[in-house]
Amino acid sequence: MERTLKNGSVTNVSRAEVLCQELERRRLASGGWAYLSGAQASVEVTCLAILGLLGAVDGDITAGVGLRSLLEWQNADGSWPALAGDSEGSWTTSLALITVSMTGSSREVVDRAARSLVETRGREAHWLWRWKFKTIDRQTGIDPDKFGWPWIPGSTSWVIPTAFAIIALKQFSACNRSGIARRRIRTGIEMLVDRVCVGGGWNAGNRAAYGMALAPHEEATAVALMALQDEPRTLLIEKSLDWLRHQGPILHAVSSLAWTILSLFLFGAPVDDLKSRLAVLVSDPSNVCNNATLAVAALGLRCGETIHPFALIR
Amino acid sequence: MNSNRRQFVTTAAGLAGAAATWSVMPRPYGPDVRKETSRVAILRAEGYSDALETLLLGALSDFGLNVRGRNVLLKPNLVEHIPDAPVNTNAKLIGAAASCILRLGATRVVVGEGPGHERDTEMVVSETGLEQELRDREIAFVDLNRDELVRARTKADYSGLGRLWLPKTVLGADFIVSMPKIKTHHWAGVTLSLKNMFGIVPGMKYGWPKNILHWHGIHESILDVCATVPVDFVIADGIEAMEGNGPLQGQLRRLGRIVLADDPVAADATCARLMGLDPRLIFHIEEAGRFLGNMDQNRITMVGERLPRNTEPFRVLPQFQHLQIRV
Repeated sequence: MERTLKNGSVTNVSRAEVLCQELERRRLASGGWAYLSGAQASVEVTCLAILGLLGAVDGDITAGVGLRSLLEWQNADGSWPALAGDSEGSWTTSLALITVSMTGSSREVVDRAARSLVETRGREAHWLWRWKFKTIDRQTGIDPDKFGWPWIPGSTSWVIPTAFAIIALKQFSACNRSGIARRRIRTGIEMLVDRVCVGGGWNAGNRAAYGMALAPHEEATAVALMALQDEPRTLLIEKSLDWLRHQGPILHAVSSLAWTILSLFLFGAPVDDLKSRLAVLVSDPSNVCNNATLAVAALGLRCGETIHPFALIR
Repeated sequence: MNSNRRQFVTTAAGLAGAAATWSVMPRPYGPDVRKETSRVAILRAEGYSDALETLLLGALSDFGLNVRGRNVLLKPNLVEHIPDAPVNTNAKLIGAAASCILRLGATRVVVGEGPGHERDTEMVVSETGLEQELRDREIAFVDLNRDELVRARTKADYSGLGRLWLPKTVLGADFIVSMPKIKTHHWAGVTLSLKNMFGIVPGMKYGWPKNILHWHGIHESILDVCATVPVDFVIADGIEAMEGNGPLQGQLRRLGRIVLADDPVAADATCARLMGLDPRLIFHIEEAGRFLGNMDQNRITMVGERLPRNTEPFRVLPQFQHLQIRV
């Protein structure tokens, strides 16, 4: 059994190397990565590609080129846009902070990013909109006092941006957490708890509409759980983990499966079978059009073999 | 005065000022692209079978649809897969439409969508059966949430968005077919060919859901998006429609119809009437009738079957009961 697992593990790592080679091949001349075959670099994909390439054979060189582009795209206020050529800050600031922290970028870059993140909040954090959600707009059932982070400025808090922001701030402030960072992390966690679906798990952030429960999604659940990995194991976390564990073996979509592996691993759940299935799904990387998916698949396959980019110090 | 009170007074004054300005401002229409008359066809279809292609080809030929030499984008409505719920435009209908349009001489047909709720587009496309359907027919799918983007000025100004990042695939298409699922919608009343165009707004920039459009007003954003990216033709899936708490949690309503139209406003007005709902009371349809297409029945020519005289209205949430047409 041990031998099989070990061989399986070796196969998964070599499969991850193939994905990384494909990622290197798909890097844009400008230094970053696009989602699909276009020439427009995306911050999300570039961050995931850099994280995926770190530790791969010769991957560090390509990751370094990507990192230089990433640093160029940082806005003056410390945020990052969704895509190269845009100037509006976005949720990708969290991913970029995780990436630049992990690659040992300059303290000034990291500090500015963290400051921007602490200052960004969902629109419902403003008293007027809190009042609206409490009096007029009650059908969503959300508690606006528990706010997190939006996808872009001017919109409400949603699960995935909030979860990545919590991970980024927890990693950044692990050794020296300011009062404001502590409060933002706490309110963000409360927001995730408020938005959990009835049977556990998360979707974009709507647990119900007009009193009817909405179903959870795998990726949102996986990312939200990663943000809660160092929190006490409440019933809510256990229920969400159970839901994700149950979904894992029936998933056929590469991205959702890879995020599920990355998340379950952090909770000590067995992921070898899931990794083997992921390896089969990506056996021909040319079939994976989305470069973000390719990068997350590489991270998923190497999960447990290299540093987990979304792990928190406990 | 404390900070909260000052904020309240400032905001209240701002709102009052905005309301006063709105009442005297010229309406923010886009260019008037209405035809003299629009044509709509209602096709009967009891299920999603291989016979759809023959039915559709005949109807599109009768329509004289001119797609020869064009680069066509089919924009279905895909949200997320909920087993046995009529949430998404049916994959068989999308496949049939793609093949028909190719047979009518289009140079290229792609199917593009940017689901607004589920981030894993690959999962949605696979679970809805669309991946297999398109693979069998060798038709490409483009994830509009992650396509290359171009910043475009909106051609109407209802929402105040001003500019929108939009997918190159959409802006580069020279014929756009909106393929909505006929459904009720808990914010907009209905989701038809106009509302379906929310799916071209890219998640990579605006998120999942595209919440900024809600903050700028759903109806207003629909009008701006549709003025900026005109819909050339509509193939609406009403074979299995949704009533009640749509677009995700409503109930199946077997309408047994496909609606074709050369005008999205005429299509949506007709679909609403088929649903037993009054399109004049749905802001984005009524307002679109002023510049994007024809809403009035006297400017719509029905090709073939006419609207039924009596329709049992679709069930709707209480706030939309005023839309129901009671004979």
